[in-house]
Amino acid sequence: MSSNMRASTPLTTHTAAGGLRSVLLRPSRIVVFLALGLAAAALMYPFAFMILTSFRSKAQYLGGSGFAIVSWGILFHGVPVVREMFNSFLLCIASIFVILMIAAPAGFSLAKTSFPGKRLVFIGIVGSMLIPLQSYIIPEYVNFARVHLINTYLGAILVYVAIGTPFSVFLMTTYFRGIPDELVDAGLCDGLKHLGVFRRIAFPLATPAIATLIVLRFIPVWNDFLVGLLFLQEPANRPFTVGLGVLASSQLVNVPALMAGSLLSTIPAAITYVAFQRYLVAGLTLGSVQ
Amino acid sequence: MVASKSPSGRATRGRFHHAANRGLRLDGSRAGLILVSPALVVVLLLLIIPIGEAFYYSMTNWNGITAHWVGPKTYVTVFSDPTFWRVLENNALMLIAVPATMFCGVVLAALLHVRVRGWRIFRGAIIIPTAVSWVVLGVVGHQAFAQKGLINGGLSAIGLGALRLDWLASPLGAIAAVGITFVYSLVGINTLIFVTGMSTIDPAIYEAARLDGARWGRTFFQLTLPLLQRYLLFAFVVTAISAFSAVFSLIYTMTGGGPNFGTTTIEFFIYQKAFGTGSFGEGALLGIVLFAILFGLTLIQFRLTRGET
Repeated sequence: MSSNMRASTPLTTHTAAGGLRSVLLRPSRIVVFLALGLAAAALMYPFAFMILTSFRSKAQYLGGSGFAIVSWGILFHGVPVVREMFNSFLLCIASIFVILMIAAPAGFSLAKTSFPGKRLVFIGIVGSMLIPLQSYIIPEYVNFARVHLINTYLGAILVYVAIGTPFSVFLMTTYFRGIPDELVDAGLCDGLKHLGVFRRIAFPLATPAIATLIVLRFIPVWNDFLVGLLFLQEPANRPFTVGLGVLASSQLVNVPALMAGSLLSTIPAAITYVAFQRYLVAGLTLGSVQ
Repeated sequence: MVASKSPSGRATRGRFHHAANRGLRLDGSRAGLILVSPALVVVLLLLIIPIGEAFYYSMTNWNGITAHWVGPKTYVTVFSDPTFWRVLENNALMLIAVPATMFCGVVLAALLHVRVRGWRIFRGAIIIPTAVSWVVLGVVGHQAFAQKGLINGGLSAIGLGALRLDWLASPLGAIAAVGITFVYSLVGINTLIFVTGMSTIDPAIYEAARLDGARWGRTFFQLTLPLLQRYLLFAFVVTAISAFSAVFSLIYTMTGGGPNFGTTTIEFFIYQKAFGTGSFGEGALLGIVLFAILFGLTLIQFRLTRGET
């Protein structure tokens, strides 16, 4: 079906930037604009609530008027925010780095080399994408407890790596399959070994796939709660989301301070999402819809 | 894509086979194994062995330290527990949120596709909620759905005060609140998937429809939706899998699974069983059940997409 569509493209000029545009008349465009505005406002409303509430004291929040900065102070005094943010960033950077270091070579191997049992290895790694975290987290937790990895950064990073590896290998394999075999052959003829071809030719070419991978892995690790809750239980090493969860379930909930924290936790992920939308979709729909 | 690439790949490899000498080919084989082994070790040690352990322990009375073999009858015990079915019912209720999310996504994508002035800004505003963590959504949702919260306040403000409801106090209200928050969170990613899908549709098709005098509604239902089929299926699977396996932290911070198991879905139940009551064996068993459900869902998608091509 897609080849049909593509074949017909040269016959028409690309005047219509968007498909439905041409079908719509001017007044209906205003209606569409208003509808989008309404939807955007509704979706943004919780953010307005977070921002407004965070700039109120507890009394002002309950009373519904007035503004103050005091709640941000309470947040920073009550919870080790800076420490927790640092932990979250550290966990993101370390786990993404490890995933890259193992997924890129694996992708090259599965796309461009041949070895006995390759198909099985591919199915084993990529098929593990189907295993939900909750199905293996209990044995994982007990195993890690046995080797004293609970409450260590390393333990949590390993779990994040385990969660991210199958999809990342799939992404890198698909990307490397798109690189012409002639490039690999040329490198081999120039006297490079396969490892050299990977390091000097394929890896530098994979920058777009690596960018996609970084964006796609950053958000789930930054937003993770369950892994942090179980594998990093101490205030000194827990990620920001776990700190927020603890703050929310404490006896004397300070809603404005909680909203300040929520807002702070959302900013890095929101910026990433908006700035790198195209990587997001490219990665999400990879192989599944084409 | 994977399927369409492999024939040409095989052909090139065949040519290479002729051209290259034996030494190079052996190097490729060894290098291939070396390059793939770290990923293989991670997957084996941290995913495949643990899921095997989970399967074994699901048939024991494991408490995290000691485990005695009980056998497959542990499954019978769990399946005859009314709470288990209560929990699955909650999962079924959560599934209602999936088509609701997709519907909102299709509508918003269609609106964005008109490309009115400032559509990029609208797209940004629609996508941002997806970036918010479930923890934050739970925390804000808890405030929003509270008796004196945002939702009730809004209802009063527009003169619908009679519809005020203490959402989180009743099981049905609480699961509805969780469901609405779920839709809020996933509407962005659904919209993005459908926007991508719509941008692959050739504008010439719409041009032809316009020349035929087709109205907007007809164009949408008879052209756009059928051409989006694969994207719809993909969005369904992504959203349904999220409904089953990604809302733990939302439930944890928003309702704590209550009231009276009203919002305990299977993934929350797993956590409660293992880390709340120390029944690691039962937790592992429920994990296997969850795995089976998601495996089934993915298999359906796989069948449907392969069946077409």
